[in-house]
Amino acid sequence: MDEIFGFLLDPANWEGARGIPARLVEHLFISGAGVLAATVIALPIGLYIGHTGRGANLAINLANIGRAVPSYAVLVMVLPVSLSLAPVLGYSPSLGLNFLPIFIAMTLLAIPPILVSAYAGLRSVDRDLIEAGRGMGLKESQILRSIELPIASSIVIGGFRTAILQVIATATIGAILSGGGLGRFIFDGLSQGQAGRASIYAGAILVTALAIGVDIVLAFVQRRLVPRGLRPEVAKARATTRLVDATAGAGETPTV
Amino acid sequence: MTGSASQGAVVQFDHVTKRYSTAAAKDGKGVPGAVNDLSLTVPAGKICILVGPSGCGKTTSLKMVNRLIEPTSGRITIDGVDIESRGLTDLRRSIGYVIQQVGLFPHQTIGENVATVPRLLGWPSARQRARSEELLALVGLDPAKYRDRYPAQLSGGERQRVGVARALAADPPIMLMDEPFGAVDPIVRDRLQNEFLRLQESIAKTILFVTHDIDEAIKMGDLVAVFQNGGILAQFGTPLDILAAPASDFVARFVGQDRGLKRLSLLRVSDAELRPPTTGRPGDSAAEARQRAAADKQHYLLLVDEGNRPVGWIAHDDIPAEGTLTVEMANPVSPQVNRRTTLKDALSMMLDADVQTGIVVDRTGAVQGLLTIEAVARKMRDGEHAAPFDVTAEPGADDHEAGGLQALATGA
Amino acid sequence: MLEGKPLIDFGWILDHLDDIAESILQHLQLTILPLVAGFFLSLILAIWAVRQPRVYGPITAVTGILYTIPSLAAFAILRPVLGTSLLTALIPLTTYTLLILVRNIVAGFQAVPADVLEAAEGMGYTRRERLLRVELPLAVPLILAGVRLASVTTIGLATVAAVLGNSFGGLGQLITEGLQTFFPTKYLLGAVLSVVLAFIADGLFVQLEKVITPWARAQAGAR
Repeated sequence: MDEIFGFLLDPANWEGARGIPARLVEHLFISGAGVLAATVIALPIGLYIGHTGRGANLAINLANIGRAVPSYAVLVMVLPVSLSLAPVLGYSPSLGLNFLPIFIAMTLLAIPPILVSAYAGLRSVDRDLIEAGRGMGLKESQILRSIELPIASSIVIGGFRTAILQVIATATIGAILSGGGLGRFIFDGLSQGQAGRASIYAGAILVTALAIGVDIVLAFVQRRLVPRGLRPEVAKARATTRLVDATAGAGETPTV
Repeated sequence: MTGSASQGAVVQFDHVTKRYSTAAAKDGKGVPGAVNDLSLTVPAGKICILVGPSGCGKTTSLKMVNRLIEPTSGRITIDGVDIESRGLTDLRRSIGYVIQQVGLFPHQTIGENVATVPRLLGWPSARQRARSEELLALVGLDPAKYRDRYPAQLSGGERQRVGVARALAADPPIMLMDEPFGAVDPIVRDRLQNEFLRLQESIAKTILFVTHDIDEAIKMGDLVAVFQNGGILAQFGTPLDILAAPASDFVARFVGQDRGLKRLSLLRVSDAELRPPTTGRPGDSAAEARQRAAADKQHYLLLVDEGNRPVGWIAHDDIPAEGTLTVEMANPVSPQVNRRTTLKDALSMMLDADVQTGIVVDRTGAVQGLLTIEAVARKMRDGEHAAPFDVTAEPGADDHEAGGLQALATGA
Repeated sequence: MLEGKPLIDFGWILDHLDDIAESILQHLQLTILPLVAGFFLSLILAIWAVRQPRVYGPITAVTGILYTIPSLAAFAILRPVLGTSLLTALIPLTTYTLLILVRNIVAGFQAVPADVLEAAEGMGYTRRERLLRVELPLAVPLILAGVRLASVTTIGLATVAAVLGNSFGGLGQLITEGLQTFFPTKYLLGAVLSVVLAFIADGLFVQLEKVITPWARAQAGAR
């Protein structure tokens, strides 16, 4: 126990490229990059198929695949791809081992929750409301913006929440490949045998703290962004029961 | 009255009260669902309707019979036996229970659903199956077609029938029905009601039936118990009593302004005063016919054929001074009714045809008399002043036995 | 990874079929044990939550927090305590199934229509009979959905178990060893096999659901 505190309080561990802040930044950077890329890809598609209702099959299949495929496997399967891309994209293979495969893997992992939640969230909006909007002369984009998104916001943000947690967890393991992220404390500690025990623990605690912290913040955001008239039992209750069948667990892809 | 005369059992409420402990109960205001000192007796083999506005305690009263709700005080007996003294599951398995949404088990076939209580009672499976098919046929569903289907595949009306079949499976002496026909559309509801009344003629069980619809109560009930808010029994009597002599303002209002008209649906043409028609046959002397028509109150002659069947009306002024009556002179306008037609239907037909008089015929089509709107209206008004408990009244040819039940109503 | 070498060495695969099979079996062990234990634990918790709705909130909150912990961290924390025994992997894996299963089992029970329950009670089912013959069968679709999700999740999480120590085995071990020795055949094989395993499990449960709930098919057909 004291060892862990010792580790965490040791100033040496707080500075430099291997210090806690640095690793934290690396971790957040790689996680954020993946989620951002996934958002750019997945959100428009998800909103489109959610609004129009077309491509429901895509959403359901993606949900199934996203839940079933182990993240570690994704991480690993991306390796050969990124390494072969190295000469094409013009960077050195050693660098390729660091950043690109993890980035691609993160993006791939984050796409299903974001897309499926966007779809499920929009689908949960009462069709009557949309019809009313059309009847009043709103354009499709206005309907999306002023009716569907506010009502669907809780579920859509839930998807982001899942994606981010997923990515943070995978980045921890990703440290085995790359040089960065909080996971490195765990792996470095492993290679040091008995002496590295504190490092392992510290790493585990730091990552857990990060995950729980982010989850709490996002939960707060999720609750606050929901329009007052819809908080939170009504929307969630109706949406979850109706969508449990089609996209069971859309909000609950595992954190690796 | 014991249950031996029919297949039903006598259900008696003896000062039954149900109180819910809320603040409202303390200051004596009506708590929804509460029941207040209810005493009534349902004779064996009769349909007793519990009717009233929402929250008046009718459903609560019903549910106390199979102990889904336990009374706060008082007791309920079935054939004299206190229901508290019987085992709970035993009691429930001996009472048929039908609710509005039916509650068919979605994961079982229709056949399995119907055989639920027999299965619980441990009947051999061959007997379960036979009984299941027998009952499906009884409620008008082809067993071969429906036995292996699932509830989700049936329409609302079909599901209700299965619900009734299921309640009858173990041949219970008592049935509790809570708005059983409420969830279907009016056309289906009407049919289900008629079929159920027909069914009851052969099974003669004691039925406690809850509804908020006074028309359904009048139609279905041998006895009607009107509840008002606070779980108080406002009136208990035959449908005719309730309509003719409402015991309070509440009952009068609940029954509706049109209770006179409603009463007409309980009366038949045979109950009204018929006028003998002035008739004539084709070939009769016109001059003599014209005289007779002049003597007629409405100055009309009814032309009939050899079988005394009506052909049409001839106005006095249209009868020539000489010659004979011919078919061409007659105007074939006027609805025909028979003695069993309800006065309400008869009135309806006459108003539709825009005539003052309807012709009453028998099974062969021969004229029995004339029914005027005025006679109907008189009958409607007369009933109003009739003594409510007329023990000498004969049980009519219709479904509601007015006579013997009156004594019971007074007694309770 | 050296250039010039082929990506997958099939010869190696054929030589090591035994080891690969053993890895798969170990992985199944790592999956099935937590699932079974997790299921029974969840069933108890769920029935409790349905009977006493007030405990549902706390149960969900606690399992939710546990679920948020990245699995590698969970394994790492337990390792010094429990060493490299199987328990170190099994405890977190079982815990992860709890959130999914409790939620789905409760949802399953809540999906039973109220009128069905009332009819059952009114007709004379005892409480136990009602649970076994009416509530459970009707809760099965959602429960199965939960087990399906939990199984594929556990297969995935089990791959991480081996990262910290090779005694757990499983396909994760293939992956980790492959990475450590820069041997693509090994790590790709491990990855692909874990994906295949997950899909097989998923497909199995989809079929199981079709078999166990014939009335759901009838329902779909009726609409």
